[in-house]
Amino acid sequence: MVNITINGKIVQAEEGEMLLSVIRRLKIDVPALCHHEAVEPLGACRLCMVEITKEDWNGWSKFVTSCLYPVEPDLIVLTHSDQVNEIRRTIMDLYLARHPNSPEIQKLAEEYGVLKTSYEVQVDGDNCILCGICTRICDAMGFHAISLVGRGHGKTVAPPLDEPPPDCTGCLSCALNCPTNFIEFSDQGNKRTIWKKDFEMLACVKCGATTITREFAEFLSRNRDIPFEYFETCDACHRKETSLSMGRIAAWTKEAQS
Amino acid sequence: MKNRFVINPVLCTGCRTCELACSFAHSVDGKMGRSRIYPLDGGMTDLWVPVACLQCEEAACIKSCLVNALRRNPETGAVELNEEICVKCMACVAACPFGCALHDQQHDLIIKCDLCGGDPVCAKFCPTKALEYKPFEPAKKKIAG
Ligand code: FES
Repeated sequence: MVNITINGKIVQAEEGEMLLSVIRRLKIDVPALCHHEAVEPLGACRLCMVEITKEDWNGWSKFVTSCLYPVEPDLIVLTHSDQVNEIRRTIMDLYLARHPNSPEIQKLAEEYGVLKTSYEVQVDGDNCILCGICTRICDAMGFHAISLVGRGHGKTVAPPLDEPPPDCTGCLSCALNCPTNFIEFSDQGNKRTIWKKDFEMLACVKCGATTITREFAEFLSRNRDIPFEYFETCDACHRKETSLSMGRIAAWTKEAQS
Repeated sequence: MKNRFVINPVLCTGCRTCELACSFAHSVDGKMGRSRIYPLDGGMTDLWVPVACLQCEEAACIKSCLVNALRRNPETGAVELNEEICVKCMACVAACPFGCALHDQQHDLIIKCDLCGGDPVCAKFCPTKALEYKPFEPAKKKIAG
């Protein structure tokens, strides 16, 4: 454990843990669009920028992405100094030009007082900020179904050859963790569609409720050594079963005791 | 001796105080969370069973988690979910054979019993001691014979 100062407050942190984790623990609101604890930091969105300095730096300070900066002893961190806010405003300004229709970007920019971009608006801009959370999570889960494709202006996220990805199991983790809700999917009855691939939802054998896709359940049972029957009943019916069997044992105990 | 979470359905009256205590204890930003414990009558009219996570030794939820968001707390023995790591794929919800990993729709979080970090609130509030957190004693011989 080492001591660092964040916004004038002395706090304890683990040496080597990333600054952003410490800042988040203190419930300080630093915007971060490309950060997810499930995957390694990437430093793509640049919004988590903070100002750091030390006593012996003779008044010098520098700006670093807090999601990628490991804690050092005696660090002095400012999360909302004027210069940091100015940097964030510039980035928001650029984001607003590139993704003018994203409600999430608009809201964030508004918080920093950027209501209109000063750059030329890209009219056909989509909402993908290329943070790579979706692809990194997909890789971390072991599917490797999607990746960032193309470069420069046309870069985007897509499955190989833009066809339904064979490795996708329809777990929806990419879409649910996208900071701008760019990834489209549809859940209709027992059918789920994502990346143009159709999935059958696994229906509970008792009540018909659905939780995950059949393909995802098969993947888990195959690779994680979980009996497939576990997936065939939904959580509510499982609880009913549990109460029934625990109730039976309790009834025997009651009888035996009386 | 380590404390264990002991459920004794014979004493449960189905008052659902545990449910309320759990919801309050797991509030998010001042809004009550979904309860991790479920008092159900299990189809038997005279018996209520508070269904809560059994903290399985070989837990299906831990096995199902592809991003290692579920880990066992070595001090309490409870399987704890790290909400920051969780990607909400619902694998644990589907995998738990006791139905004790849940999806809190209001807050959009996956939740499960974490024994309140070693001091379960439900056990503290249970008026009939159907829920207790105490050193574990093995069942008496008398019952088995
Ligand atoms: S969260 Fe640090 S750069 Fe995006």
